[in-house]
Amino acid sequence: MRADDLSARTPPPAGAAAVAVRGLTWRPAGRREPVLREIDLTLVEGERALLVGPSGSGKSTLLRALAGLLLTVDSGDLSGSVTVDGREPGRRPGAVGLVLQEPGSGTVAATVGRDVAFGLENVGLPADAMPARVDAALTAVGLDHLERDTPTGALSGGQTQRLALAGALALRPSLLLLDEPTAMLDEASAATVRDAVVHGAAGLTTVIVEHRIEPWLDHAERLVVLGRDGRIQHDGPPAQVLAQHGDELAADGIWVPGVPTPQPLDIDLGPLARPVEAGVELLTCEPLRVERRRNHLDGSSEVATVLVTDVPLAVTSGRSTALVGPSGGGKSTWLAAIAGLIPPSSGRVVGADGREVGELPATDVAPLLGWVPQWSSSALLSRTVLDEVLLTGRTLGAADEGRARHLLEVLGLAHLERADPQTLSGGEQRRLAVAAALAHGPSAVLADEPTVGQDRGTWAAVTGLLLSHRARGGAVVTATHDPDLVPLVDEVRHVRTPPSEPQRSTPRAVLSACGPLSLFAAAAVPMLAAVLSPGWRVSLVVLAVIALGALVGLSNRPGSGAGWTVAGRWRGLAIRLLPGLVGGLSVGWSTWLLGSHDVETALSAALRLLVIVAPSAITLAFIDPDDLADHLGQRLRLPARPVVALGAALQRVQSFGAAWTEVGWARHLRGQGVTWREPRSVIGYLWASTFGMLLRSLGSAATLAVAMDARGFASGGRRTWAEPAPWRLADTLVVLASLVTVLVVAIARL
Amino acid sequence: MSTTTTPAAERARTVLATGQLMGWRTVDLLTIAFLGVAFGVAYWGYGLLYNGPISALGLAFQPLFGLFVGFWFIAGVVGGLVVRRPGAALACELIAAIVSALFGNQWGVTTVVSGLAQGLGAELAFAIFAYKAFGPAVAVLAGALSAPLEWVYEAYAYFADWTWAWKLAYLPLMVVSGIVIAGVGGWLLTRALAQAGALNPFPPGQEVLERKAV
Repeated sequence: MRADDLSARTPPPAGAAAVAVRGLTWRPAGRREPVLREIDLTLVEGERALLVGPSGSGKSTLLRALAGLLLTVDSGDLSGSVTVDGREPGRRPGAVGLVLQEPGSGTVAATVGRDVAFGLENVGLPADAMPARVDAALTAVGLDHLERDTPTGALSGGQTQRLALAGALALRPSLLLLDEPTAMLDEASAATVRDAVVHGAAGLTTVIVEHRIEPWLDHAERLVVLGRDGRIQHDGPPAQVLAQHGDELAADGIWVPGVPTPQPLDIDLGPLARPVEAGVELLTCEPLRVERRRNHLDGSSEVATVLVTDVPLAVTSGRSTALVGPSGGGKSTWLAAIAGLIPPSSGRVVGADGREVGELPATDVAPLLGWVPQWSSSALLSRTVLDEVLLTGRTLGAADEGRARHLLEVLGLAHLERADPQTLSGGEQRRLAVAAALAHGPSAVLADEPTVGQDRGTWAAVTGLLLSHRARGGAVVTATHDPDLVPLVDEVRHVRTPPSEPQRSTPRAVLSACGPLSLFAAAAVPMLAAVLSPGWRVSLVVLAVIALGALVGLSNRPGSGAGWTVAGRWRGLAIRLLPGLVGGLSVGWSTWLLGSHDVETALSAALRLLVIVAPSAITLAFIDPDDLADHLGQRLRLPARPVVALGAALQRVQSFGAAWTEVGWARHLRGQGVTWREPRSVIGYLWASTFGMLLRSLGSAATLAVAMDARGFASGGRRTWAEPAPWRLADTLVVLASLVTVLVVAIARL
Repeated sequence: MSTTTTPAAERARTVLATGQLMGWRTVDLLTIAFLGVAFGVAYWGYGLLYNGPISALGLAFQPLFGLFVGFWFIAGVVGGLVVRRPGAALACELIAAIVSALFGNQWGVTTVVSGLAQGLGAELAFAIFAYKAFGPAVAVLAGALSAPLEWVYEAYAYFADWTWAWKLAYLPLMVVSGIVIAGVGGWLLTRALAQAGALNPFPPGQEVLERKAV
């Protein structure tokens, strides 16, 4: 049905590609041994192949080689050849489409329509030809019901992956590469992504890397198996390969359909830090309601309910609980609330002694709770793998190095003991986070998706750790979408996504009608008035003019809602003005002290500074970062690629802040408290949070670079812009208004 | 596609940017933008501290402020050390300044002027060595050179009415702060990021990789 729909609305794809790989060998910088060796692979037009192999066998690397993007972010020795239809991949921008594992890691724009159009901008398609291509791509992946201006941040994980697929399809690729597209999704969302690939991208030559291949088997003609040595081990029709080599592959850790789930390992974890009998209620989580407030720069905010639970949850010693539900449905939020990291707007989480978890100091939380967050990398705080496992124990004064080594051994990390945790692969980091959460014997462990990206062997180790923790009397709460983990727990809780309520939209301010450039200009023009002002009396008049401007600019836009609900805006302005007032005070005082000890001169200096900074406090908050790149590129004609890169970075400001927060959480739960009484703890906190934020931003920049290059960003041609950056009447008016300050000074000087 | 060997594979002591010096790759552009935004967030956070305890110090004796300005130079130094292309230091510092101004800080739109003045200074240090040297000495020079242009701007805009003796005394304080916080601090930060594997697409990361090849 959807396939028919597609053929009715889009021209057929530019044609499926034939792929030929000959003698491909790749040794990344820093490795003695190649990751890929002598790869020979031929795919005929329209063939759909599954690529599997144990973790670390170079599957993702091979995909990047097929896309011609191996040298985008990596360096090393590359030999052999890859051709797509007889030419180098990437000769035609977008000819090879790529979808990455982590939902949102390749998102470029703030809205759905704009994100799909990104590749079309890169190839220089005229803006009026874009909507049809965007609509067709969204229809192909089953997202045509979304408004084009839906914020990309509001999509679920499955929708975000389908959006990435639409972004690739808009460029009419002839080869499609999917790097574990459903690994982070629950089964229902994963099915929608598979459906979009099978129907929306029908007929394209496709290579799919996936840990769990069973659901794909009916849709693939080939199964290619990469070995640990970086060579192709087996290649053939899936049924045949699995029939002949199934047992061997399963032994190698690959999730072979039909082979029973491995037995979780029995692991000696040692005793709990605070031994407890089974069946004791360690924590009680009352029915909760959690809201997330998103503050905008201009002082307005939106509140969304992200979690509602209607039955209490008891975290009980010797018991395990799984929180299940759709991706993005609140499982992680619930875990964070149980850990006392996110304060609920109603309901409490209390310990056995009646104290709220959120109020416990770090050194009391650490023996109570072990924490495995979804972003394991931000929870890793040490510089070597062994130190990481020992960190919490050392803080609490009970580290056992022998046991830590044993844990690393079991998890297959022993050879990495001296490595920096940040250099580990995603799957390895997740295992390390589990070991680090359990090593000091906390009473309860809270684990967010602990089994993602594990092969059969490491899966048995991770689940073994959790079950052994339960066996020693500990409690386990895990958020998971792993269908093999769920049957192992004592209790399953379904998390339902709270019904989306209409957002409490506040009326918009007059200034929000202006574009970023005019707001910048309006903030900058009064600088001239400040410098030319003959003295404090004139500066005072200028400040009065600025205040009048604020009065008009911060009032509600005509027709944008009733009432004068501007108190929040003025409060925001007051907060933004405060630093300027402090600055004015210090400039005035220092001018008196270090200048001529003349009060009038000092007053003039102080007011001059206020004239300089007050307009910024009023106008800059109304700049929409999403518009900035469009206006800089189209109105100021700045070079397009740097400007688009800046826009993509500004999209992610919120996630940088989140990384900062998560490092703080991880430190808190591992006993690293912060108090102003100990300046060292504050410096340690600032360093760790800044470092964690930089790590996260560098990581997302590298991933996004691959995603953007796959959509033709590096191609040298002229870019077009999907949406205009208009200069409106409001822009002219705000600049004219700011010129009044200069006029006042000019009249005074006459 | 025949055999390609990127410069990382040659065991040079200092790894330079791949390809043409001005040939910014996508990952270069994105990394400068992302680092700039991240430092902008950090600048904004530091601004809160600056407005509190450090301002109290400044109120007592303004030139002491000079000892703390080095933090505002760090984005330029780190951007230049990481990407090693012309313009990297300037762009990184400028973006950080713009972002901290958008978040709302003490200086508003004038932060952009400061970002430009500081970024140009750091850029100059890397240009003097023709973008071929990136050791601690160059980092320290970049931190030090971030100060003079900013000093000119501040002497004109903020403390025009100080006596010249005090204005002149302020400059060395800024330079020392730039050397210690931005130069040494920025170099240590870059090294720590490289050792954590976060700079693998860039010369500092490749230097670490080749040193401990496994």
